[in-house]
Amino acid sequence: MSLIRGGHNFSVISTATRDIHSHYMKADLIINSDKRSYEMHVDELDKNGLIIYNSDEIDTAEGIGVPFYSEAKKFPAKNLLYGVGAVVILACSIGISKNDLNEIIKKEYPSFVEDNISFANAIYDIVFPTLSNKFEIENGDKKRPILTGNQSIALGAIAGGLDIYYGYPMTPASSILHILAAQAERFGLAVVHPENEIAVINMAIGSAFAGAKAMVGSSGGGFALMVEGLSLAGMAEAPILCVLSMRPGPATGVPTYTEQGDLNFALNAGHGEFLRIVACPGSIKEAFYLTAELLDLVWKFQTPGIILTEKHLSESSMTIEMEMKNIKWAEPKYHKSGDYKRYLYTEDGISPLLFPPSKEIIKWTSYEHDELGITTEEPDIIAKMHEKRNKKNESIISFLKQLNTVNVYGNKGPLIFTYGSTTMSVLEALHYGDIEAIVIQPIYLRPLPVWELEKYKNEHIITVEMSKIGQFTSLLKEKANIKSKNLINKYDGRPFDPIELAKKIKEVI
Amino acid sequence: MNTLDTYAENTWCPGCGNFGILSAFKKAIIKLEEKGINREYIVISAGIGCHAKIFDYLNMSGLYSLHGRDIATVQGMKIANPELNVLTFSGDGNAMGEGLAHTIFAAKRNFDMTLILHNNGVYALTTGQYTPLSEKGWKGPSTPKGSVEEPLNALAIMLEAGATFIARGFPGKQAHLTDLMVKAIEHKGFSFIEILQPAVAYKDTWQFYRENTEILEKEPKSFDEAMKNVKRKDKLPIGIFYRIKKSTFHEELYGNWNPVRNRISREKRFHLLKSYFT
Repeated sequence: MSLIRGGHNFSVISTATRDIHSHYMKADLIINSDKRSYEMHVDELDKNGLIIYNSDEIDTAEGIGVPFYSEAKKFPAKNLLYGVGAVVILACSIGISKNDLNEIIKKEYPSFVEDNISFANAIYDIVFPTLSNKFEIENGDKKRPILTGNQSIALGAIAGGLDIYYGYPMTPASSILHILAAQAERFGLAVVHPENEIAVINMAIGSAFAGAKAMVGSSGGGFALMVEGLSLAGMAEAPILCVLSMRPGPATGVPTYTEQGDLNFALNAGHGEFLRIVACPGSIKEAFYLTAELLDLVWKFQTPGIILTEKHLSESSMTIEMEMKNIKWAEPKYHKSGDYKRYLYTEDGISPLLFPPSKEIIKWTSYEHDELGITTEEPDIIAKMHEKRNKKNESIISFLKQLNTVNVYGNKGPLIFTYGSTTMSVLEALHYGDIEAIVIQPIYLRPLPVWELEKYKNEHIITVEMSKIGQFTSLLKEKANIKSKNLINKYDGRPFDPIELAKKIKEVI
Repeated sequence: MNTLDTYAENTWCPGCGNFGILSAFKKAIIKLEEKGINREYIVISAGIGCHAKIFDYLNMSGLYSLHGRDIATVQGMKIANPELNVLTFSGDGNAMGEGLAHTIFAAKRNFDMTLILHNNGVYALTTGQYTPLSEKGWKGPSTPKGSVEEPLNALAIMLEAGATFIARGFPGKQAHLTDLMVKAIEHKGFSFIEILQPAVAYKDTWQFYRENTEILEKEPKSFDEAMKNVKRKDKLPIGIFYRIKKSTFHEELYGNWNPVRNRISREKRFHLLKSYFT
């Protein structure tokens, strides 16, 4: 459920000094601040793990009791302190000193800071004798940033040339709107939250007409409202980038959990025939570069593009190393001089762009049109315009052939096809289970890079995805004639746990 | 100078009120140019409907949008480049039905744009159904026994929602309508003109409007006075009902910034981004 201050809420953290791709549900340390949490999570404890319970709510239990309520009661902001308590216990168990902890609290919990520090110190002293350094963590070789997938997407868009972001709140895409709104002034962006997603996409198209690189974002339901505008972008040849972050559907579904059930919808969104670009990042790091790359592609090909992702990627945080190189910058084909025709017939189907104010007339339109953008019903012009737009389907393929469109991990063993954030689960499962396999992750899903996938046509493959009906598995069969021997799928809102997934992979290889 | 006409064939019904709107608008553009607002700085949009055909008949830049979405389209243009004057032609089904949320919010945020409402009280392009502004009892193909709904009052809604320029015009009064258009476009903020547009094939209201409209003697001085006038039923006043100065959406959002003109360079962006990655 979407929770603010009510109900049960939890976070899972996994750490290692190697690259770690996904979190584990089996825990060394579980910290519960109430009885309900204890009962819900006690089974997730690893056999050598430790569980912390609230001794004000539970008399006796396995683990270490901490009197959260009695300690918090001493302070006016008592209800806000439990979360800090969990941070304190974690800090103590991984070997962070009281002084360092106090610095962290000052920075991260600036309101009621005195109360927070006093409370933290009291809890620290209670758990210190049993927990101190219990799970000591080695320092890594250097400090690295921690980013969520949505931060990565937002920053990637900025790096790629974003001017304007439009969004209407919808989990799990809302934080893109929040991040960009907070950064707007710094990067000279306009960030707008209008009346609904229909306004979102249509404002974005208006902005593109005026020469601004615009992006929009939502989850399935909000994206559904944008689909009418997506088709307009197809006809008007408006460059629009849309982030679609999937959560379990249909309808309102399960807002704060994850799924890959909107793949078919993303691939086919919008009535009529036009070029859609759909790409899906396999990691938080890849989301950064791919967002910039897609912004460039939608401007090069003047068509809508979708960054398809999932709640699991959008809202997970991960330590990553980001290099400021090989980042694309949105660069369209511009009209140079002479008489202007917005929909000029060209070899590659791409008509040069010109923006107002201009002495030339620039007409974009939702109607079928002639080269100047005037409505037409002439059969030969209708056909010719269809052909012009369709040329972009061919030109984008030659362009994509120069890009990295498929990630391949490993070099021997069974072939596992997966995509999106499920790639992280698969890679971690292989590591945990010590399984040798080749993991193939198409980054582009429309157009699907069949030129890269051809070599797998007659192979036995396994597919892993978060869809009941296996939409990705069907896509491989339909577009690349690759048939999956085993589909490993999950559709309960939770991402794959590496241990569970390793077991499933071993069962089928 | 380029002509304001295009080669597109005009397919409005002979005698349609839209002709009068088109000619008043072309005269308004010439007047605005005399006042120093050049036509390349005016970009237009339109929804879908008979009103929207005007887009093809005007040799001006813009985006021929979707039904009801033109109000959002022009806001996107202005947010990207606030040096443009943005204007949309909407029908009553377009702006008060399909696009109502956009219209209300544009007024609410005092968006610096002009909305020209071709109010003919009928979905003419789809053969005569009732619209949000049709009177109760209108018999169209979707309401053969007559519409059972009361009409909305577009101007009252706009006034309540926060529009800062509200006017009504009639194509039968060309000079008056032209002047309203000039003033609406010059106005900083959300300007709304309801045009009483006869649709000869379905609702030939020429005679009715000639007899029942009257030019407002003087501009109302207050919100309440404006509201009283837009709700008048004995006569249909035409003219400016309400005009106030108020800061606009884009000014509130980013002051004097211009996202496309002041775009921060790639190098500077990279420099700033580095702090997120260390």
